[in-house]
Amino acid sequence: MLDFIYTDGWGAFAVMLFFQIPFLFFFIRIVYRKAYKNTGASETDPQKYPLLEGIWIATVVALFVLVNVLSVVYMPPVTTAAMIKKGGDFQEVNVTARSWFYEISNREYEVGRPVIFSAKSVDTVHGFAVYHPDGRILFTMMLMPGLEEASTLVHTFTEPGEYKVRCLEYCGIVHHGMQDVLIVR
Amino acid sequence: MSTATLIIQKVPLFGRMFNVDTKNGLEDINSWPALITMTSFVWLVIAALLGLLMPVIQYYGLNTNLFYTSLTLHGAAMAFPFAFQLMVGVSLHRAGGCLGKKANGPLVALFYICMNVGALLLTLAVLGGFKVTYTVMFPLPVVGVQTGQWSMEMLILGFSGIALVLISMIFLYPIQVLRMLFFSEKHENLVLSPRTLKDPGMLGMLIAVLILLITGLPLMSVATPILLALYGILPMSMVTWAVEPVVFQFVFYIFAHNLMEAMAIMIVSAVYGTLPLYLADGTRKLYSDKLANAALWILLVTSLTSFFHHFYTMFPALPSTFSYHGNIMSWGTGLGGAFTIFTILATIWKHGVRPEPGMIMILAGFVIYVLDGVTAMVVANVALSFHLHGTMWTGGHAMTVLLAMSLMWMGVLYHHYPVITGRSLDAGRGKSSIKYYFFGGVGLMYAFMAGGASGMPRRIANWTEGGYMFIGILILIFGLMLAYGIILYLANLSKSSEISLD
Repeated sequence: MLDFIYTDGWGAFAVMLFFQIPFLFFFIRIVYRKAYKNTGASETDPQKYPLLEGIWIATVVALFVLVNVLSVVYMPPVTTAAMIKKGGDFQEVNVTARSWFYEISNREYEVGRPVIFSAKSVDTVHGFAVYHPDGRILFTMMLMPGLEEASTLVHTFTEPGEYKVRCLEYCGIVHHGMQDVLIVR
Repeated sequence: MSTATLIIQKVPLFGRMFNVDTKNGLEDINSWPALITMTSFVWLVIAALLGLLMPVIQYYGLNTNLFYTSLTLHGAAMAFPFAFQLMVGVSLHRAGGCLGKKANGPLVALFYICMNVGALLLTLAVLGGFKVTYTVMFPLPVVGVQTGQWSMEMLILGFSGIALVLISMIFLYPIQVLRMLFFSEKHENLVLSPRTLKDPGMLGMLIAVLILLITGLPLMSVATPILLALYGILPMSMVTWAVEPVVFQFVFYIFAHNLMEAMAIMIVSAVYGTLPLYLADGTRKLYSDKLANAALWILLVTSLTSFFHHFYTMFPALPSTFSYHGNIMSWGTGLGGAFTIFTILATIWKHGVRPEPGMIMILAGFVIYVLDGVTAMVVANVALSFHLHGTMWTGGHAMTVLLAMSLMWMGVLYHHYPVITGRSLDAGRGKSSIKYYFFGGVGLMYAFMAGGASGMPRRIANWTEGGYMFIGILILIFGLMLAYGIILYLANLSKSSEISLD
């Protein structure tokens, strides 16, 4: 469940709905009721408002904290740092992006063996997004030229297949053509 | 009769909508705001047509250059000469009526000229080949010249336009508002609804212009030497520090992110100012001014450093500590939003609300604003950002927040319209416009978010090849619905009737 929420775009969509649906329900219901049904001053005890205010804020804070705390183990900076610290048998891949193609030191990887992607851009801002064969984004990296340090991320492919690479940062009139393919065996 | 009133009267079609009432003695707070607001709607029509053109270009597989031209112009027209200028027009009238200060003079005229001449120059540059999107994507403008995508002349023209727009937003408008708040002479005959800075309806205005001024200064400090070097006034060797992509990108997003936050604070403040006027039991007070002010302060403090969320995926060039900070601050703005939701709902629950079109527009815009706020928080989570950044999700968020704020300003304008023009609007037409705008806007938002969730990159000219045309068709359908809502709104302004005849 958490894997789906934090590693898939549709998981993000679900998180969005989780917050939006209750808001829509209560906001529209209250406004409709007080605009069309019972428009006069409310008979609610004035002393109840501070209590409701406290409950509302506490609920919001609790949900915000929960969603973010649960996401920590899925944050690529956290997982990348942990895997590099742990060490192991990595495949190291250097990526250089320029308008409108990638130079990739190795395009073929093994299932289950972690890959360290180190990517740089040499002209303008580019992206390096790797797509699962089913179309969802596994991860994306922003590559800004002029930085000494390459954008770096460790990813372990769990299924064989052809993984499309696309630039997600607008980089000029052939931006849509900036694509590549990685093979996982 | 003021120059602004004369200009309005000479403009075909739109002039009828914004013709100022010259008999009520309020021209000093009405004429320039009306001209600024009218011009913003001219830009909206351009932006809307370009917005609808994009899915059509994709559907028929037309020239990709045409798509990128529309993309750049649509974004630029929507964000600056429409949404920002609409805010300036209505807020200057509001400030004038609340403080009894004139909303005209050289600064206002200069704002108007810089904003619109700047936007026109940028438009000409884009038509001449300069396609950088409204976020500039520096150093793309320079790389584009080096790679032959556009000429140096178009780069200079485009940057000159952007510089004028920035001057109007970062200096001229904030200084004018600060002048009205603290310095210029008060005229009792101009006071329509007196307010002080203790009032949430005015406090947000002060906070917003300070954000624009303060977060815009670093960008102007970097952009000015670059422009001077392009003009040949400074040697290129003197501006190498400014053209470093990381320098430009950071000062750009510190401003661009806070520009949106400032606009949000400004409109939330206007909502706080307008809602009490529509309470059913006649009370003219919010549930709690303290809670409302707290929301504005939380929005200010959290938004200032939440811009880091634009750079999470640069790890480790953006140290992870800044990512976590950006994550926490971005969700902190949600807390400010939660305070605002409670203030609005508690006020309405306590006193009831009169469902007049202006108020419904404001509340409908607020609903879209909150829905969009959730999309922003989701993509500002570090884990989720690595799956969404650079997709239609982020494009959809930027578009939706502009749509939400614009609808709220259109509601505030609806409220002030009779005072500005001496004419009243048709409630039925007003409500119909809200319906189409609201469902079009919300539908567009979900179409963009679905595109982002399914990995659809933003700003690409090949939706068909990527298999994303279904999303494109949804965008077109909801875009048409939204456009119809805008047409109804403008038709209502155009067919407004003299109040004395009602």
